[in-house]
Amino acid sequence: MALITDNLPTILKPIPGGPFVLSRVDQIFNLARSNSLWPLVFGTSCCAIEVMMATGAARHDISRFGAEVVRATPRQADLLIIAGTIVKRMAKRLRVLYEQMAEPRYVIATGSCAISGGPFMYHSYTTVRGADEIIPVDVYVPGCPPRPEALFFGLLTLQKMIKEGITIRHPDKRSKPVTASLPQGITMEDLTAEMELMLKKDADVDVQKESESKIWVNMTDKRL
Amino acid sequence: MDEQTLLDKVTALDSAVEKSRVTANRPAVDVTAEALVGFMETLKNTPDLDFNMLCSHTAVDWIKDEQFQLVYQLYSLVHAHHLQVSVFLPRDNPVVPTVSGIWRIAEWQEREVYDLFGILYDGHPDLRRLFLEDDWEGFPLRKDYKDDFMLDETKK
Amino acid sequence: MSVTITTLADRTRAPETADSTLATQEYFINMGPQHPSTHGVLRIVLKLDGETIREVIPVLGYVHRGIEKIGEHETYRQFIHLSDRMDYLSALMNNWVVSRTVEMAAGIELNDRIETIRTIVAELQRIQSHLLWWGVFGMDLGAFTPFMYGFRDREFATDILEETIGSRLTMNYIQPGGLAKDIHPDFVSRVKDYLRYLKPKIAEYDGLISGNVIVQERVRDIGPMTVEDAVSLGATGPVLRACGMPYDLRKVEPYGVYDKVDFSVAVGHTGDSWDRYWVRVEEIRQSIHIIEQLLDNIPEGKHMTLKPTAKIKVPEGQYYSQMETARGVIGVFLVSDGKPDIPYRIHVRTPNFNNLWCATRIAPGFRVADLVAIVSTLDLVIPDIDR
Repeated sequence: MALITDNLPTILKPIPGGPFVLSRVDQIFNLARSNSLWPLVFGTSCCAIEVMMATGAARHDISRFGAEVVRATPRQADLLIIAGTIVKRMAKRLRVLYEQMAEPRYVIATGSCAISGGPFMYHSYTTVRGADEIIPVDVYVPGCPPRPEALFFGLLTLQKMIKEGITIRHPDKRSKPVTASLPQGITMEDLTAEMELMLKKDADVDVQKESESKIWVNMTDKRL
Repeated sequence: MDEQTLLDKVTALDSAVEKSRVTANRPAVDVTAEALVGFMETLKNTPDLDFNMLCSHTAVDWIKDEQFQLVYQLYSLVHAHHLQVSVFLPRDNPVVPTVSGIWRIAEWQEREVYDLFGILYDGHPDLRRLFLEDDWEGFPLRKDYKDDFMLDETKK
Repeated sequence: MSVTITTLADRTRAPETADSTLATQEYFINMGPQHPSTHGVLRIVLKLDGETIREVIPVLGYVHRGIEKIGEHETYRQFIHLSDRMDYLSALMNNWVVSRTVEMAAGIELNDRIETIRTIVAELQRIQSHLLWWGVFGMDLGAFTPFMYGFRDREFATDILEETIGSRLTMNYIQPGGLAKDIHPDFVSRVKDYLRYLKPKIAEYDGLISGNVIVQERVRDIGPMTVEDAVSLGATGPVLRACGMPYDLRKVEPYGVYDKVDFSVAVGHTGDSWDRYWVRVEEIRQSIHIIEQLLDNIPEGKHMTLKPTAKIKVPEGQYYSQMETARGVIGVFLVSDGKPDIPYRIHVRTPNFNNLWCATRIAPGFRVADLVAIVSTLDLVIPDIDR
C-alpha cells in the first residue's frame, strides 16, 4: 500500500476501516491520464523505427510507462507521437488526424524533422519546417533519430506536465522549454550560457587534428 | 559481349543512333526522339542484345545548352551487359514517345520524370503527377525553379 | 503528337454500370496514408468488388522531401548523410553505393581493410534488416510474438554497430575514401558471440513461424509473379529471386570482397509470398556464413585514404553504379560538371520503387487481407520510394 500511496498527490489519513484519501478531482484524473497515454500509430520515416517500434519492443519497453496500447485510429488515441518528416502533402492529413483526436490530447514531436525540418530544412520544396507549424506541440525530443531512452525522457516530461496541469493550447505558437523538468539547482540562464560557450567552441574545431587523435574509451561490457 | 563490340552493334542498328556525346562509365549512345521507340524495341527483342530490364530512367536539365537529357539505363539479364541511352530534347518543347509498352515499369518512371521536370510523354496511358499534388505549379527539379517556400542557406 | 494529362480523380471515378451477374457495384476505398499495415506513409486506393481486389492504385508523395534537389546544393559527404535516410533499414548499404560511385568517378583508391570491413558491416546490416522484416511480417499477419523476438535479436546487432559507429539507425559511416572511424577493438569478438547466439535462434523461428499452419494458409500461393512480369517491372532483390531468377548483384558484379567469399543465392519457384518469405530467411543464414568467413581475416591498414578536409574532384561526365541492398538493387546516377564537391545532378534508383509496382500486378484477384500479406512480403520502405 505504501508503495502506491507514497507518490499520490493526495492527503492520506489512516483511520480504522481503511485510509481516507483527500485530493482534488483534477489531480486524480491527471494522474490517471498521464500513466495511461495511448499513442497513435503515426510514423512517417526513420524515426518510426526507433521511436515507435523499438520503444514498443522487448529491450526498451514503453509499457512500463503505460503507453503500450498503440491505436490505429485517432478517435481512441490521446497521444500523437510525430515520428518522421512532415511534408506539405502529409500536413493536411496530420491536421485532420489531430482534430479527430478527442481532448485531452497531447503531442510529442520527436526527431529533428518534426522539430524544425531536420536535414531537409534547406533547399527542399516540400518539407514543412517543424510539425508545430501544423499542430501545437507539447514536448520536443531532439535526435536524428532520438534514442528510445530519449523518447522516454520526453514521455516522462509530458507525464510531469500533465500531472501539474500545464499543457499548451495555443496553435502557431512555439513553446519555451519546460522548466518544470529541469534538474534541481539548474536554471534556464545556466543552460543558455553553457550552450553559447559550447557553440563557440565547436565553431573553431580543427577537423584534421581531431580526426587524427581519436582516443577510444574501453567498453568491456560483455552483455552477451 | 565486351563494350566495344556492343557499341558497334548497337550503333549499326539505326542511322539515328550514334555514340554518345557525354562521357560515361558504361557504353552510351544517343538517339533522337522520333527513332526512340523502334530502337528500344530492337534492343529488347534482338537475341544477341536482349535488354530486358529498364533499370532506371531519369532526366538531366542542361540549362546552359537549353536541353533536357533523358537517360535510360538498360541491362540484359541474359548476357549481363549494360547500355545507357540518352535522348536530347529542346527545353521549350520537351515531348518524347513513351516506352511503357516495352517495359512496364516505364509507366511510373516516366510519371516521375514528368512530375519533376515537365517532360511530356506522347502515348502514355496515365500521365499525371506522382509525388506532388495534382495542382502543384512548376517542375521542381528544373534548374530555374523558383519557390518562395524553399529556404536557401544564407550563411557564408 | 497528343499528350493527355490526367488526375487522380479521373482514375478513381466510380464506374457507371454495375456487374451483370450479381447486383454488386465496384467501389473505391482508400487505405492510408496513416494505417498500421503500410510500413510508412503509403496510400493505396483500392478498387474493390465486395472484398476482392480489382485494382491497386498506389498514391505516393506523402514523404517526398526532394532529396535529389537538395543533392544539387550539397557536397558528396553531406549527401551520404541524406542517403541514410532513404532506405534507413539498409543505411550502410546506401552509404556504400554513393561512396562507391564517387570513388569510381573520382578515381579514389581503397585498401583491402576498408573493403573487408565494409562487407562485414553491410552483411550485419542485412541480417538486422531481415530480422526487422521478419518481426513486422508476423505483426502484419496478426501475431505479435515474432515482433518481440525479431527486435530482441536486432537490438544485439544494433549494439555492436553502435559501439563502432555511434549511431543506431542512420549510420553515415561508409564515406568516400573509406570509413568514418576504425572498428572498435572488441568488434570481432562481439560479432562472433552474436553469430553463435543467432544461429540456433533462426532454427527456432522456423519452428515458430515457417511451419505454422496459419502462416502457411495466409501466405502460400498468395500473389504469385512470373519472371517476365518481375523483369519487366524491374523488380530486384528477394522479390525477383523468389520468382526463380538467380540475379544477385553480389555474384554477378561483385564489389567489396564478395568475390573472395563463398555463399549461395537463395532462389524460389513460383514467386508467391511464401517464396519471398523463405528467400529472406535463407539470406539471413547466408549472411551469417559470409561474415564468419571474413571475421578472422581482416587485413591491416588505414581506415580512410582521404583527408577529411580534402575536396573530392570528380571529372566531368556521367557515372552509374549499383549495389545489392536488403531489398534489391540500388543504383546511383551521378552527373558532374567538373565543379569540386558538388554534383550537377544525382539520381538514386531505389529498389522499393520497382517492388511497389509489382503489387499492382499481383494483388488483383485476391482479398484485402491478402494484400496485407503481399505488401508485407514485398518489404517496402516508403521513404525510399518517395525520396
